[in-house]
Amino acid sequence: MKVTLAMKPAAKSFIPIEAESIVPKNFLAGTDLSVWRGNRELRLDEVFSVSVEGDAGRAEDVEVVLSGETFRLKRVGEYMDGGTITILGDIGMHCGNFMSGGTIEIHGNADGWLGREMAGGAIVCRGDAADYCASGYRGGRKGMIGGTVEVFGRAGDFLAESIAGGTVTVHGDAGDMAGAEMHGGTLVVHGDCRRPGANMKGGSCYVYGTAQGMLPTFRKIGTVQHEGHTLIRFTGDIANRGKGNLFVKDYEYLD
Amino acid sequence: MIVKDAVCPFCGCLCDDIEVEVEDDRVVAVTNACELGTTKFMGEKRLKGPILRDGDEWKDITCDEAIRYAADMLLSAERPLLYGWSGTHGEAQCVGVHMAELVRGVIDNTSSVCHGPSILAIQEVGHPGCTLGVVKNRADLVIYWGSNPIDAHPRHLSRYTRYAEGFFLENAFRDRKVIVVDVRKTETANIADEFVRIKPGGDYAVLSALRAIVQGKTETIPRTVAGVTREQLIRVANLCKSAKFGAVYFGLGLTMTRGKYKNIRNAIELVSELSRHTKFTISAMRGHYNVYGSNEVNTWMTGYPFGIDFSRGIAFYNPGETTAVDVLARKECDAALIVGSDPAAHFPRRCLEHLADIPVVQLDPYPNATTAFCNVQIPVAVTGIDAEGTAYRMDGVPIRTRKVLSTDYLSDREVLSRMYALMQEAQER
Repeated sequence: MKVTLAMKPAAKSFIPIEAESIVPKNFLAGTDLSVWRGNRELRLDEVFSVSVEGDAGRAEDVEVVLSGETFRLKRVGEYMDGGTITILGDIGMHCGNFMSGGTIEIHGNADGWLGREMAGGAIVCRGDAADYCASGYRGGRKGMIGGTVEVFGRAGDFLAESIAGGTVTVHGDAGDMAGAEMHGGTLVVHGDCRRPGANMKGGSCYVYGTAQGMLPTFRKIGTVQHEGHTLIRFTGDIANRGKGNLFVKDYEYLD
Repeated sequence: MIVKDAVCPFCGCLCDDIEVEVEDDRVVAVTNACELGTTKFMGEKRLKGPILRDGDEWKDITCDEAIRYAADMLLSAERPLLYGWSGTHGEAQCVGVHMAELVRGVIDNTSSVCHGPSILAIQEVGHPGCTLGVVKNRADLVIYWGSNPIDAHPRHLSRYTRYAEGFFLENAFRDRKVIVVDVRKTETANIADEFVRIKPGGDYAVLSALRAIVQGKTETIPRTVAGVTREQLIRVANLCKSAKFGAVYFGLGLTMTRGKYKNIRNAIELVSELSRHTKFTISAMRGHYNVYGSNEVNTWMTGYPFGIDFSRGIAFYNPGETTAVDVLARKECDAALIVGSDPAAHFPRRCLEHLADIPVVQLDPYPNATTAFCNVQIPVAVTGIDAEGTAYRMDGVPIRTRKVLSTDYLSDREVLSRMYALMQEAQER
């Protein structure tokens, strides 16, 4: 089954629309769903031109395609456990929160908290991801615990904060504090980033570019070969328990 | 008439030993207060009555008309923002939270642009803090990190630290050491026993290095960390470990620089580490006299301290998304009520551009920068001068502010209660 949702131009286009109902599973029972613009509840067809082709008996066979000015759309794919969501443009905050299965593909950029506290499934973002990509929630101990997030552009600050499982790959640069509080899982940044692995106590963080503002509390072990890159291996963060692994191509201290 | 033991409604110190001399319903003299507090008590040039923007001019309106305007504005909005709250008393803040829930808006207070990151860090690792009295009587080491009390909290030093007597200290001035950590040599740095000068943005690295040194892992630390030599770091760590009771006070130099709440988390974790060796506490140098109170009120009423979004009928909290600067910069609100703060003087330009596009009502005694963005401004009584109410000191101690003179101005609580009553009526219809 293919569900196509094309956003209608709205007069008050700057008010965000919370659309946690846009999850493949929900379309098995039809399109009588609602979304919220600020404090107003709206029917799905008030915001989107909805069209459905074919039918499906399980979430895995449902594909949802979103188009139009989707950058104001928050919480799409929250708690998703199967099926596919394809976003042709940019997507708003909290896309794929808590997802445990299925695939989300974003052709444009993703706003903050992409794949927050994700447990499984896959997110592919062709553009840039904003701050807190694959991170946890405020005050939470564990962020992402499983699944994969791949960003082909750049990522913002606090990438994969508190990650405890799963894999996050960013092909471009990442911002400040990538992999902060990391305690498990794998983070790979192909470009540069600032202060990776701050306060980490487990897991592995790879930086194929330069680690800027490198923290003074990582102990240098030696060099290793990894996926065709010669990387310098550190353990840390020794301010914390120091059981994490940080691999960087190059680094510079703020000395 | 002289009013004794008045409470100063300026900064988070909430000094409660002020003497105010009043003649003909005017404050004529203030004793004991610092320059900042004295200026606030002596403040003049208040707005006379509510004003409504009418083209390029201001029109005088009645209080009832102004309250009706605000109630209608908030009720018709899809995502109203209710911001400020730190410059008013707790009773008014309570009404504000009820209003936000009723109109399903976003309520945020000024901590999102000052010590919000401190609260985020406390939510991650807790708060090993204590009241100011404990520090005054026991602390033999005080660290001011990224704060400059001589300019911002002038009586903090004389009432609680550097120049204060201590019950458990024989000669407090001699026995109490003061360390100042900052990016520049401030006035406070001049009176410190040890001044640690950090390169801007280097606080996190220095805190991490200190944590490692306190744990005895000195050999990994590079020769300099963010402009601070390893020798000085070791000296500071030893000063901390050899103190009987240490207290860290941090300001916006730590909360609003690169890394924000992670800096505070690191500082709290350093304090936890030091508490394995001696007694150490850490507290925030809160700015507004009742910003702590707005966090308290919001927390006991909604579960969250600031940045609460009621648009779905339940409280949702996510600083960076539901905080005033983010909501305004992303144009995610369509009306704003400002109470007891001046966002136009502090917010980024992009936020003000949106503030200029939407209807805004402000409750404030004085014309300020935000007045330029208002459709309606309602002057109110000043808490601690012509209105009374509860405020929370920077260490979480509630103190009832007193009324030192009487005027015809309504208090924030009275104006907001009338606004809320109108909204309840409209909701029932």
